[in-house]
Amino acid sequence: MAETSHWTGSEKYLCDPALAQAFHMARTLGMPLLIEGEPGTGKTELPIHYAKDRGLDLEVYPVGSKSNVEQFVARFDHVKYLRDSQIEILNAQREEKGLDSKLTTGDRNPESLNDYVVKGPAAVAYSKPNSVLLIDEIDKAPREFPNDLLYALSHRKFIMPESGEVIEVSEEDMPAIVITSNREQELPTAFKGRCIYHYIDFPDQETMGKIIEKHHPNMDEKVVRVALDVFYHLRRLGLERAPTTREILNWLKYMSEITPNEAVKKIAGLEGIGALIKTQADMERVGRMIGADESFGTNLN
Amino acid sequence: MLSSLPEHFRSHSLKADVRTLLLLRKAMQKGLVKTLGDIYNVLKGIIVKDPSDMGPFTKAYYAYFLHIPIKPGQTLEDAILRSETFQKWKTDYVEEADRDITDEELVNTFLDKVHLTSYDIKEVVSGKEIWDKDNPDQEDTDPINEDDDIPSRKLDKMADYSELSLEELLERMEKVREQQKTRHGGGSHWIGTGGISPYGHGGAAKNGIRVGGQGGGKMARKVMGDKNYFPIDRDSTLNDNNIDAALASIKGVIEESATEKLDVPQTIKSGLKRGGLFIPEMSSEKNEELKIIVLIDNGGYSMAPYVRSVQNLFRKMRTRFAHDLEVYYFHNTIYDRVYTDERRTKAISIEKLLSHSKDYRVFIMGDAAMAPYEINSLSIESLKAIPQKFKKCVWLNPEPIKYWPHTYTIQLIKQLIPMFPLTPAGIERAVRSMNSKGTEG
Repeated sequence: MAETSHWTGSEKYLCDPALAQAFHMARTLGMPLLIEGEPGTGKTELPIHYAKDRGLDLEVYPVGSKSNVEQFVARFDHVKYLRDSQIEILNAQREEKGLDSKLTTGDRNPESLNDYVVKGPAAVAYSKPNSVLLIDEIDKAPREFPNDLLYALSHRKFIMPESGEVIEVSEEDMPAIVITSNREQELPTAFKGRCIYHYIDFPDQETMGKIIEKHHPNMDEKVVRVALDVFYHLRRLGLERAPTTREILNWLKYMSEITPNEAVKKIAGLEGIGALIKTQADMERVGRMIGADESFGTNLN
Repeated sequence: MLSSLPEHFRSHSLKADVRTLLLLRKAMQKGLVKTLGDIYNVLKGIIVKDPSDMGPFTKAYYAYFLHIPIKPGQTLEDAILRSETFQKWKTDYVEEADRDITDEELVNTFLDKVHLTSYDIKEVVSGKEIWDKDNPDQEDTDPINEDDDIPSRKLDKMADYSELSLEELLERMEKVREQQKTRHGGGSHWIGTGGISPYGHGGAAKNGIRVGGQGGGKMARKVMGDKNYFPIDRDSTLNDNNIDAALASIKGVIEESATEKLDVPQTIKSGLKRGGLFIPEMSSEKNEELKIIVLIDNGGYSMAPYVRSVQNLFRKMRTRFAHDLEVYYFHNTIYDRVYTDERRTKAISIEKLLSHSKDYRVFIMGDAAMAPYEINSLSIESLKAIPQKFKKCVWLNPEPIKYWPHTYTIQLIKQLIPMFPLTPAGIERAVRSMNSKGTEG
């Protein structure tokens, strides 16, 4: 029986209640959870922390531009198969020549094709009840990839290449599948239809404070407050690439190494802001803002 | 049962069909649906497939389950306050609460009740002991109005629907809907006293204590009027607000093809590596080359308001795709040359323009409105030559489509080059027609 209790986050991970509920619902219904949202809002972290917290096996498939279903499910190792199938002849030849040493095939038997199937994360997760499968950044995949997954998602089974072995999982044992996307390309409607969809909202200032506390528990309160003010101020500017959770955490990591008072001073002076601003145009824009609006850096104290 | 649900949600341009109902049913069987707030959550997971679906979904939900219509531009508070459902609920509630309550408080309580989920109930029930120990952490996650009667809350009264069978629940739902249709019962029994909700009477949510449901209510309130959660008008002329939607449709310019081709060099290479075992290597052929020529009419007053947003659109596109993009300018119509700068001082001849590879996609943007004599034989020849050379060529016109029949020159040019309105939806259609031509040739 798959794990279907309600999970609300762990010590290290603050799970938005709405997300926790969507995740619970997806697991209960045995459907994948598709999470979309701005980069750096903790989409990928959810299954990782969930698996860690509950002590479940996690299979990760990072999607790239060259991803295909073969890598994701399973492929057949032709090279090994060829080698092993020729070993008998080779050994006979060796014997003829009076060579003692023999080649072995390990535990593999060329008669059983199953030995040559290299399972990908999906097949592994499907054959283990109660596991977690993360398909990270599916929007980076070629268009065919999500469509190729449709069958597996709705029928809960994979057919292994060459060997024809069928890996099937019951609805109850369905692994918790989490799929993340940055919306760089629109996913096919049919694909979305098979998932429970959740859009992560950008956390508000209060929630962000809690997230920071989870990551930097010993951070001085004042430093966090000042940093958050600057952070949300920057987000409101409408930059080309608004700073995200990941960036403020990195920034604070840098600040945590110095004394609070100094850190406040540095933050107010927008030092190390390169951790937050990622494009040249945005940097120039912020530079102009500071010049034009004297109060920007000063009213934060 | 609830059979009108898909139809209702579809009328809010959401995707819902019989599968939606089946999933909802399954969720009920699995015990995910115990309160009205649960239905909101479950349906949200099933139906919403894009942030811009959130607004319409919330609207449809309020109209369908609570009989609260939300008019365009109206806030959720406003819609609730004006609704019959709320009035009815308020009468019962105020009587019971026996004290003066502001409208704001009332709406908050109402929202709390609507969006009360079984998760919230669990939290409250399990949180009770924690409160007794006066754990400060709990206060953060579950905001409570510091009210005197917290300890006196009767949590045992918060019976949920677990006792009810699915059929009973559905039956009640249907009954409520019937009543709403005939308006006999006045307002909804979903929430309130005599109806389906067990929380109305003497429940824990009494007297303004927040039992939760915060999240849902907050979300519902937020999505109203937030343009991120509401689709922008896809038929309004391109402006700064809907430029991203246009960009999304223009992304379709990149052809998505999944044709597979035998990769001969790769097959030989990997075959040799395998010691002579040749296994055909396929390579998926993707034609992601995006070469674009944009011809912009930047003369005359009629075009002035659009030039900026048009350029904005293509600049955004260029940063996103980093492909070839060439921009030329013309005035009203194209004669024997187009200009490379906005001031129309540097020109290239039409022959040079036509010497581009025929793979280029050509977008011509202009209002195509001019004096009839401006379209002379030279211009007509040019306008014919361009689509002849570049098979993928469209004219995008910022002029609202209803005025097109009244302008002679538009009618004329339309016959030479396929013309679409310069709106996100129009661009989408243009791109689609472009791509379909691509497969023919």
